[in-house]
Amino acid sequence: MLALQLAITGLQTGAIYALTAVGFSLIFGSTRIFHFSHGATFIIAAYLFYFVDVSGYGVIPAILAAASGAIVFGLLMYRFIYVPIQRDEGSFFTVFVASFGIGIVVQNVIGMVFGRGYVAVQTSLSKSVELAEGLYVAPLAWIAVLCATVFFAALWYFLRFSTTGMALRALSDNPELVRVFGLNPKFISACAFAIGSLLVVPAAIISGATQGLNPAMGHHVMLISLAATIVGGIGSVPGTLIAGLVLGLAESLALLYVESQWTEAVTFAILFLFILLRPSGLLGRSATH
Amino acid sequence: MEAYLLNLAILISIYSILAVTLNFIMGYAGIYSLAHAVFFGIGAYASSYTALNFSASIFITLPVAMAIGAALSLVLALPALRVRGEYFVAASLGLQVLAVTIFSEWKGVTGGIGGLIGIPPVNIAGLEIYKPGEFIFLTVVTLIVVLVVINRLVHSSFGRSLQAIRDSESAAAAFGKNVPLIKTISVVISAALTAVAGALYASYLAFINVESFMLDTSVLIMAMVIIGGTGTQAGPIVGAALLLLLPSVISYLDFLPQTEIGSIQQIIYGLGMALLMIYRPGGIIGRKKVTSAGGSK
Amino acid sequence: MKSIFAFVGKVSLTACLGFSAMGSALAADQTIGALFPLSGPNAVYGDVFMAGSDLAVEHVNADNLLNGKLSIAYEDSQGLPQPAVIGMTKLVNVTNVPYTLSAFTGVSKAISTIGQRNSVVAVNGGGVGPDLAQLGEYFWNVIPLVNLEVRAAVPYLVKERDIKRIVLVYIDDPFGNSILEELESELEKAGGELIDTLSVPTTAQQFSGVAAKVRAAKADAVYVASYGAQQIQIVKQLRDNGVDSLLVTYSGYAVPDAIALPESEGMIFTGQSVDFTSEDPVTQRFVKDFTAKHNREPNAYNVNYYNATRLFALLAQALEAEGKDVTGENLLKKRLETPSFDLVGGTVSFQENGTLLFPIKINTLKAGKTETLKTVTFN
Repeated sequence: MLALQLAITGLQTGAIYALTAVGFSLIFGSTRIFHFSHGATFIIAAYLFYFVDVSGYGVIPAILAAASGAIVFGLLMYRFIYVPIQRDEGSFFTVFVASFGIGIVVQNVIGMVFGRGYVAVQTSLSKSVELAEGLYVAPLAWIAVLCATVFFAALWYFLRFSTTGMALRALSDNPELVRVFGLNPKFISACAFAIGSLLVVPAAIISGATQGLNPAMGHHVMLISLAATIVGGIGSVPGTLIAGLVLGLAESLALLYVESQWTEAVTFAILFLFILLRPSGLLGRSATH
Repeated sequence: MEAYLLNLAILISIYSILAVTLNFIMGYAGIYSLAHAVFFGIGAYASSYTALNFSASIFITLPVAMAIGAALSLVLALPALRVRGEYFVAASLGLQVLAVTIFSEWKGVTGGIGGLIGIPPVNIAGLEIYKPGEFIFLTVVTLIVVLVVINRLVHSSFGRSLQAIRDSESAAAAFGKNVPLIKTISVVISAALTAVAGALYASYLAFINVESFMLDTSVLIMAMVIIGGTGTQAGPIVGAALLLLLPSVISYLDFLPQTEIGSIQQIIYGLGMALLMIYRPGGIIGRKKVTSAGGSK
Repeated sequence: MKSIFAFVGKVSLTACLGFSAMGSALAADQTIGALFPLSGPNAVYGDVFMAGSDLAVEHVNADNLLNGKLSIAYEDSQGLPQPAVIGMTKLVNVTNVPYTLSAFTGVSKAISTIGQRNSVVAVNGGGVGPDLAQLGEYFWNVIPLVNLEVRAAVPYLVKERDIKRIVLVYIDDPFGNSILEELESELEKAGGELIDTLSVPTTAQQFSGVAAKVRAAKADAVYVASYGAQQIQIVKQLRDNGVDSLLVTYSGYAVPDAIALPESEGMIFTGQSVDFTSEDPVTQRFVKDFTAKHNREPNAYNVNYYNATRLFALLAQALEAEGKDVTGENLLKKRLETPSFDLVGGTVSFQENGTLLFPIKINTLKAGKTETLKTVTFN
C-alpha cells in the first residue's frame, strides 16, 4: 500500500515536472536558447496567482493574472535579453549566465515584494481524502493529472495541425524553411516562449497549493526540467513528457529504499548515466557528436 | 579596515585560482564545466580531514588534496570524452548535484551541513599561518605559481593541441592527436590546482561546510571567467575581483535598509551578469569574440 | 556599461567617506554586532530577534546606562553558516565589536572559532542545539538548549498522555541530529519507543512522500524537528496527507506564521518559560513597552535577545565604572566574577558552561492561542 501511495504522490509530482519540463524543452528545442530563468517564470506565476487570489478577486482572475504574468515575463526575456545577446554571438554560455542572473534578480525581487518567508495557500483541495485503507489522495493530484493531460493534448494538436506549430517544430532544424512558409523566425521563437511559459502556469499554481510558496522554489523546478529535457531527448516533446513523469515517480518511489535527502541525487544520477550511456535521450532524434 | 581589505584580497586570490583553473579547461579546451565547485570542495575536505586527523603540515595537506582532486576528476573527464555542448553541461550539473548530496551526507568526513569546525591553520615547517597579514602572501604566491604553470602549459605543444581540439575535435584527431588523453590530462590538472584553492580556503576560514561548494559557487566561478573574458590570461582574475568587490561595496551603503541589503546585493549581482552578457559578451578583458563553444553541431 | 562603472566609483567613494566619518564619531559609543537571518527562508526569525534587541537598545540608551550610545550593527547570516562566517569576519575586523549576538545552531558553531581566536564574545539566544554549550568560553547561551526541552516533553508524553510510539521527522543537520540522539535516549528512559525516524534535507519543500511513510508507521505521535519555513511546511503537508496523530515540536515553532497556521491546532510544543507576571521592574517594563510597541505579547525569542543585549550593557557599564576598556576579554572576566544578573524573567545566573537555565513549559495550541499544560523545572 505504501508503494501505491508513493506512486500516486509521484504521479502528481511527475505531472508537475512534465508540465514545466515540456515548457523548457519546447523553448530550448526550437530556439536553442538555454532559458535557465524558466524557474523564475514558475515563481512569478505562483506568486501572482496567490496574490490576486488572497486579494479577493477570485480564482479565475488569479489564473489569468498568473498566465499573463508568465507569458509576459517569457516574452520580455526573449525580446530584451536573448535577442540582444544573439544579435552578437549567441554562445550557449553567454545566454546561460545572463539567464541565471535574471533568475537571481526575480527571486530577490519577489522576496522583497511578497516577503522572503514561507506562504501557505489555504485551500481545501490540498486536503487528502482516504480512498482505501491507508491510501490518501488529495483532489489536487487529480487536478494535476487532468491539467497535464489537457495541456499536452492541446499542445500536441497545436504542434501537429497549426502552421505556427509546424513552423515551431521546423525552427531548430532549419530557420530558412520557416521563412519559406512565409513566417518570421523571430515571431515563431516568441511563440515558443509564450507557449513554454504558459505551460508552467498550472504546475506553479498546483505546487503552490500543495507545498506553499517560497521565492527559492524555482531553482529545484528548473534543475528537474533540465534533467527531464536531456533524459527525454533534446527537441522531443513526448520524450520530455515521459521523462518528467518518470523523474517524479522515481523521486517519490525512491523513498521506499532511501532517506529523502537522497532523492535529488537519484534524479541526477539517472541524468548522469543517461548522458554517458544514451545521450540522445529516451526519444531523442539526433545521436551524439 | 586594513584587516577587512586583507580579508577581501585573500578571498579574491583564492577565487582567482578557481577562475584561472576553470578558464584553463573552458577557454583552452572548450570543456564548459558547471562542477568546478566540486573540486574546490574536494580539496577543502581532503586537506581539512588530513589536517584534523593526521598532520596540518602544508607538505602533507596540499599533496593529499591535489591527489584526491586529480583522481576524482576522472568522473568529470568521462562525460567530457563522450559528449559536448549542452550535454556536457548537463552532465557536469548532474555531477554537481550528486556531489552536494555526498558532501552533506558523508558526515564522518565532511561533517554534513554542520561542516567541519576548528580546521587548523596552514603549517609550513612548524610556522602557523592564519593571520590575514601573513596568509595573503601564501595565497598570492600560490596564485602566481598557478598562473605560471598554466601559462607554461598553454604555450607548450600541449596547449596548442588543446586549442586545436577546442576549435575542431575531428581535425585535431585527423592530425594524429590523442584527443581523449589530452582532454583527460587537462581536466586532471585543472582539478588538482582547484583542490589547492580548496585547501587554502578551508584553513583560512577554519570552517567549511557544503554551502561553499554548491551549484551557486560553480556558477559564480563561471561568471567570473565569462565576465572577465574567457580564454584570456588576466580576465578570470579581473572577473573574480569584480564579483567579490561588488557585494562588499554594496554592504557599505548606509542608506539601504539593513534587512534588504542581502536582496539588493543579489539583485545587482544578477542584473550585472545579464547586462554584461548583453553589452560585452566577450568579457571585460576579452577583445576577440568568444568562439561558440556551446554549439552542439 | 560606462554608467555601471561610474556607479561603482561613486559607491566606493561614499563608502570611504562613510568610514572616515565613522572613525571619529565613535569615541565613547558602543557598537555590538548581530548575525541574524535577514534574508532567505529563515528571515521570519530575524524580525522576531530584532524586536527584542532593538527594544533593549532603546531602554539602555534612554537610561543612559553607558557613557555613550549603544547601537547594533546587523549582518545578514541568512541562518546559514557560510554567510555568517563572512559577516562575523566583517564584524570582528572592520566594525571591531567586542560582543555579537548570534542565532541558529549551524551559524553559532561556524562563527565560534572566529570569536574564540579574536576574543570576541558571541551570545546565542535562538539556536538550541545541545552542542552550543561546548563552543568555548567566549560563546554564551541565554536560552535553554533543546535537550532540556526534549527532557521535559518526553516524560510528559509517555507518563501523562500515555503516548509511547513516536515517529521523528527531522532536518538533516547538526540540530536535527542532536534531537534524534536526545529523543532516542529520553524515550528509552521513559519507557517509550522511537518507531521510525525520517530525515529531510535542509532544502526540501515537498513532504507528501514523507507523510505517507509517517502514516504507514502508525505512531501515537510525530515529533517534528526542523525550523523556519520548512517546519511549517512539514506540519501542513503531514496534516494534508492524512496524518492525524498528535504532532509535537520544540520552541522553534513559536513564530507568528506557524501559530497562525490552521493545521497547527492541537499541536504540543515546548518552550522556555518566562514569568511575565514577575514583579521585578525589568520584566514589567519589558512586557509593558513591548506590548505597546508591537501590539502583542512578547515571546521567548524577544526576551532572549532583549536579555542578550541588556547583558552586554550591564557588563559594559560595570567595566566603564572601573575605567576598563570594553573588550571581549574584559567582558568575559566581568561575567565570570558577577554572580547574577537582573534580566527579564527574574534574577538569573550562568551555569559553568556559559548557559542560562530556565524552566521549560509544555504548551498546546487551542483555537490559535497558546495554552500552557505544564511547567517543568530543572535543577
